Order: sequence, then structure tokens, then C-alpha cells
Amino acid sequence: MNHPTQADLALYAHADLGWARSLLLDRHLRRCDGCRREVDAFRQTREAVQESGAEFPPELHWAKLASEMRANIRLGLEAGAIAGPIPVAGREANWMSGYRSAAAMASITVLVCSAWLLNRPAPQPPPIALDGPGIVLRATPTGISMEGNGRSLALMHRGAEKVTLTVGMQGSLRARYLDEETGEVTIHHVYAE
Amino acid sequence: MSMRNSLLALTLSCAAACFAQTGPASRSSLKVNLPADSPVTLLSADWGESSASERGSAMVLNLHTSLSLRNSSSRRIRGITWMVLSQEVTPGGRASVTKASLDIAPGEAFPVRLDLRLLRPLGPGQLQTGTPLVEMSLDGVLFEDLSFFGPNRLESRRAMTALELEAQRDRRYFLQVLSANGAEALRKECLASLARQADTPRLDVQMARGRATAVEPERQVQFAFLRFPDSPVDPVAGMAQVAGAEARAPRLEVHNKSTRAVKSLEVGWLLRDSRGREFWAGTVPAKASLSPGQKTEVLGQTAFRFAEPAGAPVTIDSMTGFVSQVEFTDGTVWIPSRTALGDARLQHALAPSAEEQRLTGIYRRKGLSAVVEELKKFQ
Repeated sequence: MNHPTQADLALYAHADLGWARSLLLDRHLRRCDGCRREVDAFRQTREAVQESGAEFPPELHWAKLASEMRANIRLGLEAGAIAGPIPVAGREANWMSGYRSAAAMASITVLVCSAWLLNRPAPQPPPIALDGPGIVLRATPTGISMEGNGRSLALMHRGAEKVTLTVGMQGSLRARYLDEETGEVTIHHVYAE
Repeated sequence: MSMRNSLLALTLSCAAACFAQTGPASRSSLKVNLPADSPVTLLSADWGESSASERGSAMVLNLHTSLSLRNSSSRRIRGITWMVLSQEVTPGGRASVTKASLDIAPGEAFPVRLDLRLLRPLGPGQLQTGTPLVEMSLDGVLFEDLSFFGPNRLESRRAMTALELEAQRDRRYFLQVLSANGAEALRKECLASLARQADTPRLDVQMARGRATAVEPERQVQFAFLRFPDSPVDPVAGMAQVAGAEARAPRLEVHNKSTRAVKSLEVGWLLRDSRGREFWAGTVPAKASLSPGQKTEVLGQTAFRFAEPAGAPVTIDSMTGFVSQVEFTDGTVWIPSRTALGDARLQHALAPSAEEQRLTGIYRRKGLSAVVEELKKFQ
């Protein structure tokens, strides 16, 4: 028996599969207990994640997280496809589908926890002590700033993916990132010169 | 709304209202300056979720604005840099926002977003009437033929030209992979780049001018160098004062081995910590008037403290430098080739170019066909 892919089952479970493939998958699920259990497991995982979402900090950016997760899951599937199939026994072996569901649930839990950890505010190292008054440039998890005399101006990298920091030894600090909304390369620069 | 020959003052009402506690309510909060013959025009400004609040004895203003601009020139725009000034908040300090790897056709509208946080002490009489909190001025626009418009006060011409050359180099490389080995090879290239990006170690940094008061004893550390065969300038010798996680006053000697006069250059700087891990620390940019065959010294006058993202200080053990950019007096710019950057140490410590990051970002979000489409757009 030809079984649908994990990706199709996941998309079907969340009603994200196209109607034509959904019809075919409907027919298959009527005949295959193993795949039906996997779909149920995907649905239960989603519900569990939604329930546990209430425990996350309110400032967590869900839209960003969801888009990151979608991109990472697709990337994982593609990387997996390049690495080649993992030989498994027939899907009729029900104990195997249980393991797969558990593995899927564990992966999603790890992904959500990682995202939560990444969104946590990081502790800030102490500033450099200066001999005299002057401007201090500082990188924080949310932006780069120049500070002096109790005042500061910070350029925030809102919606940033991976930020590349570069210091200019003549007295500047640069943050380069991809704007998540536009996909554009954005470079912030603060200068103490 | 035409912005030519004008100085546009925009009022952010919510910020003005909040800052009214310490200053006049009707003052302008953001001023956008465009030169008379600017190749971009301002269409509108959206203030989004801007807000102001008190934090202890300070006032915090969060400015989230998106400017809608139009390319009013006859050439495609590849990059744009805005200088951001706030004299009342940080006298003497400047900031800039650059958008690179653009492809804005003549007549096309495009957004530039600015997310700023200003912090100043609460107290009467500290704001001057009529002075905007923030001023944005066009510093430069780079076009597809590498021609440039703007006052270039922040050296944005060199920076944007180098970014565009990197973009052209990396698009060429990706296209060559596609044409020589097919779509699957390009997919593998994208995945390898994403894996490298995820593995690139990152440092947090603080920087101050002058002498930092380090607790640990200071020592002099010599630079080791990576030399690229096609580089017009070679590093000869260099050192910096190091104390624990702090480095200051880097001093480098460079030699122009080309036949062309050099106007400025940048030396990249890698740090190795006491555990043998290597990090990208930054650059030593310098205006260096170097005739062919001439040597000169490049000096940095700042102190840096490096830390891991979790806050733990990085103990600096050794340093490596390499020439990462050279600008000639005719305005042309040299950047290292992909072959030169293929050095194992650089591959590990150096983040990929902005364009490679952008292309692999497209791959991650939209898939391989979107990357191929994007590459063909620039051909």
C-alpha cells in the first residue's frame, strides 16, 4: 500500500492540504489505521501546543514565531529529502506510528521551546567604565544604541532574523539583518565620532 | 506631494503630546531633509505604533515610522542611506539606516522603516522649542550602474558600493552553480549556507572612545594576518592593547602593493578566545591616502568589550586581521573574492554577505523556484 508523506498528513490534519489531495487522502484514511492515528496525533499535538501557548510571555511575537516555524519545518523536510529516506518497516506496524507521532510531538515541543528561549530577554553585560565623559555604543538583543549623560538613541531591529554585528575601530557599531516583513537587507549604524 | 527644494517637517502627534510633559506640545518630532535635486521623493509617513512612557526618572519614546518614497530618477536604485540625528538626546552622536540589495525601478514606490527608541531624563527646560527630536537626512543613493547621489557624509558611497559588489559577486556565484550543476546543486548550496549562518558564533559588544578602565592587567597582543593573493593592499604588522575581554587602540601597518592610489580601506578583525573559539570582531576602517608601493599606519582610538550573547565576557587570547575592503581614489572598490573567503577560518567565523543572507532567506521562506526567479531578475 502507498502511504501519504508525513508532510501531507500534517497539512491534512491542520486543514491546509489542497482539496484534490484531501479527497485522495480521505479515501486512504478510511482504509489505513496507521495513517489515521498519525493524523490524530498531529491534531492532538496542535491542541497541546495551543494550550501550552497560554503559559508563554504575552510579548511573544506569535505571527513571527509561526512564520519561523513554517519556514523551518519546510527547510527540515527539504534537507531531509536531500539526506535521503530513512528505511522503516511497513506502516501497518502500529507501534511504529506511535513512535513517529511521539517524535513529531517532541520535535514541535523542542521547536517551540527553542523559539521561546530565543525570545527571552538576554541579560545585559555591564557597560565599559570610562576615564572621562563620552558616548558609549552598545549592542543589545533588540538593537544598537549610543548613550551618554543619561540619554540614549537606539535603532531597533524589530522583526530581525539573524543580526550580524560589526564594530568599527574608529568608533562605530553596525547591525545588519534581514527585515522579516520585506525580506530587505537593512543596516543600522551608530557612530561615536 | 512634491518634496523637491523643500525641507519637510512632520509632526508626530502622540510623541509631541507625551513629550509635552517636559516640552512644548506643538514641537516637531521628526524632520525629513531631502536635497533640492534628490532622486527620491517622499510620498507619505506612517507613525504606526509610536508611543511614549516614563521609566523611573526618564522618558522613553518609541518611534515606529515608515516612510513611503518614490524613485524619481531614471535609473534603478540599489541602495539608500539615511543619516539620523538627535542633537537633544545624544549631542555629537550620529546614526544611519541603510537599505541595500534593492531593485527599485524608476517611478516605483518603496518603504523605509525606522524603529527608534529615545531616552532622556525627565525635567523641565531641557528641550528647545522648534528643534525636532529626530532629523533624517538623505546621505546617499546608489544606482544600478554604481553611480552615486548624495552628500556622502557617512562614507555611504563606499559602504553601499561594496555591498552591491558583494551582491553581484554572490548572485553570479549562485547563477553559476545553477547553470553548471542544476537546481539541486543550488538547493544544497542554500542549505549549506543556512547551516553555516546558524553555526556562525556571535558576540555582543560595547564600545567607548578613549581609555577603558579594565581591572585586569593590560598586555600587547600582535595580530596574525590572512593574506589574499589578489588583494591590492597587504597587512604588514599590527597590535592592540588587550585586558581580559577588552581590546583598545589597535594599530596596523598596511602596504599598497597595487599600481593604483588608495583612498580608504578596511581591515577585518577575528578574535580567538582562551577556549580556542574564533569570532568576527569587527573592522578597522581608515581613510588612508596610499600611493602605489607606499606603507602607512592605521590607528583605532576606541576601547571595546566583547561578550557572549548570554553576557559572559570573552577572554581575548589572539587576533587575526585581513584586508576586507579597499577604495581607490577613482571611487572604485575592491572586495575579496569568494575563493579568498573560502578559507576555513573565515568560513567558520565570518557571516555570509548580506546578499547571500537575503537569497537564502528567500529560499527558506518561499523555496528554490523563488530564488531562481530572484537571480534571473538581476541578470
